[in-house]
Amino acid sequence: MNSETVTFGVGTIILLLVLFYGATFWVSTRIGKRDENADGYMTAGHNIGFGISAASMTATWIWASSMYASATSGYTYGISGPIHYGLWGALMILFIYPFGKRIRAVAPKAHTLAQVMHVRHGRSSQLMLAGSNVVGSVISLMSNYIAGGALISLLSPFNFIQGVFMVAGGVLLYTLWSGFRASVLTDFGQVVMMLGVVAVVVPVIFFAAGFPGAFNSGAGNLTEQQSSFFSSEAFLNQGAPYIAAVLAYAIGNQTIAQRLFAVREDLIKKTFITATVGYGAMVIGVGMLGVMALYLGLEPVDGDMNNLIPQMAVSYLPAILVAALFVMIIGALSSTADSDLSALSAIVMTDIYGQNVAGRTKADPRTMLLIGRGTMVVASAIAIAAASLQLNILDLLVFVGALWGALVFPVIASFYWNKVTNTAFTVAVLAALAVFLPVRFEWIPMAGATGFVVDVIAIVGVGVVLGLMAFGFFGLRVGQIVAVVAALAAAPFALGELHEYATLSGSLVAYAVSTVVCWAISVRSDEEYDFDRIAREIGDFDPEHQLARSADPDPDPVH
Amino acid sequence: MEHIGLTLYVLIWPVIVAAVLVVLSTAFIRDWRVSRRDGEDII
Repeated sequence: MNSETVTFGVGTIILLLVLFYGATFWVSTRIGKRDENADGYMTAGHNIGFGISAASMTATWIWASSMYASATSGYTYGISGPIHYGLWGALMILFIYPFGKRIRAVAPKAHTLAQVMHVRHGRSSQLMLAGSNVVGSVISLMSNYIAGGALISLLSPFNFIQGVFMVAGGVLLYTLWSGFRASVLTDFGQVVMMLGVVAVVVPVIFFAAGFPGAFNSGAGNLTEQQSSFFSSEAFLNQGAPYIAAVLAYAIGNQTIAQRLFAVREDLIKKTFITATVGYGAMVIGVGMLGVMALYLGLEPVDGDMNNLIPQMAVSYLPAILVAALFVMIIGALSSTADSDLSALSAIVMTDIYGQNVAGRTKADPRTMLLIGRGTMVVASAIAIAAASLQLNILDLLVFVGALWGALVFPVIASFYWNKVTNTAFTVAVLAALAVFLPVRFEWIPMAGATGFVVDVIAIVGVGVVLGLMAFGFFGLRVGQIVAVVAALAAAPFALGELHEYATLSGSLVAYAVSTVVCWAISVRSDEEYDFDRIAREIGDFDPEHQLARSADPDPDPVH
Repeated sequence: MEHIGLTLYVLIWPVIVAAVLVVLSTAFIRDWRVSRRDGEDII
């Protein structure tokens, strides 16, 4: 595809966008209230059913980059490529659910994870988590607008900037008034459309492109590694860094936390497992388009891998399905963008205004709503401006990912271990970042002893990551055993090698240092934190909810 | 034989996607009916 290849005319694109955003806006008006509730605007009353919450979790986790990157992985690494993208991304949802259940049990009425950290530890911990959430959500928002602008400019006479404005305007239109409630309800329609299109488009392209015969005729286009289900290249370059990121992205992403606090408590497990399967199948399914392109010997136009999906679509689909695929991608990026707007508004409403400006007891729900809506407008403007500059977001993403990696152990430990202190949390995160930066960006030569030390720390990080995953499902004893076994098993392969992979070793040292420092400071502390304090000190902001609870025979404590 | 395996490998994902679609839609309709019966918004 290039600028001379225009698939849709101006009228068609406008019609598709008006139909999509018009229908989404209409859905949001069905639940719109003249006087929205501040807590509903952030968490929809903590009582969402299974269908909507699972759909919303799936839709939020699938962004435009998920599809492009999965297809790219299939094209680059062959038949195992989409697995090494989609499976680990899906496991990010699965592995957070046992922690999610604990978090929800400890803080049933919370709005953000950072809000809980404020009560558990204090301001510095809260602001570290909230700050990383904000940066992450703004980057995600910008990335989705960039994807939307690029897609519209690719398939129509409109230019990139015009495309960015169309997408940003459409998302803001239906999210602004009802916030999170609109986001999750519209997510359902969007995910139904996405799943429906993938269920149809992948098989249609498969047969239209001459498969399964093309497996034979195109086998020569694949290297030995690309033909293998057990490609070490795919694992080391795509899968392993993702495994390291599994917990970091799940803990660091407020969009997930927001859904965790919104779903009915007894539906958390069911919701997260369904979203895991839905996300994994959909993203891996789209990744198969990249595998098929590889077998077919298709060259991405201009060498841009993001052209793979549109090229496959235009080459093998009838116009109606190309239009459906276009709307699907717009739906995917819109559902994530509206979640980012809702997440940002919840953080500013709760963690900045509610906790730090007005104070918990004096926060005015009407002012909170105004601030939430203002946040959405400002965030959209910032994301549009940044998207228009077409900044390279890769370094920012890596940095935020590492920050989240540094937060994982301190955040999780804060929900289970009553000896973790604010000092331990803060020092651990700062120390982890101080070690991460020179490793990730290779500021110091990694030859000799330095590389060896980095390898040793990264091996500890391997133990931390796998130990935490096992701990979530099977408890402390199993988690400790898995951590030790994993570190010992990794050592022979990792020593002398791991520092060569800067992204992977950077993430692993962030995990390791934050864990060791947090443990070392906490284990000597005298603190015996009472976790019941969190439920007592975090309640709804809106009097409407407080009055409802005062009539409840077993009311939750209100601040 | 290998082609059959690869074909299944590629086409199993749309099948799972369709199954998830059915699960989500069924659950949504159930939620919607309950909320209508109770006279409340679905969210």
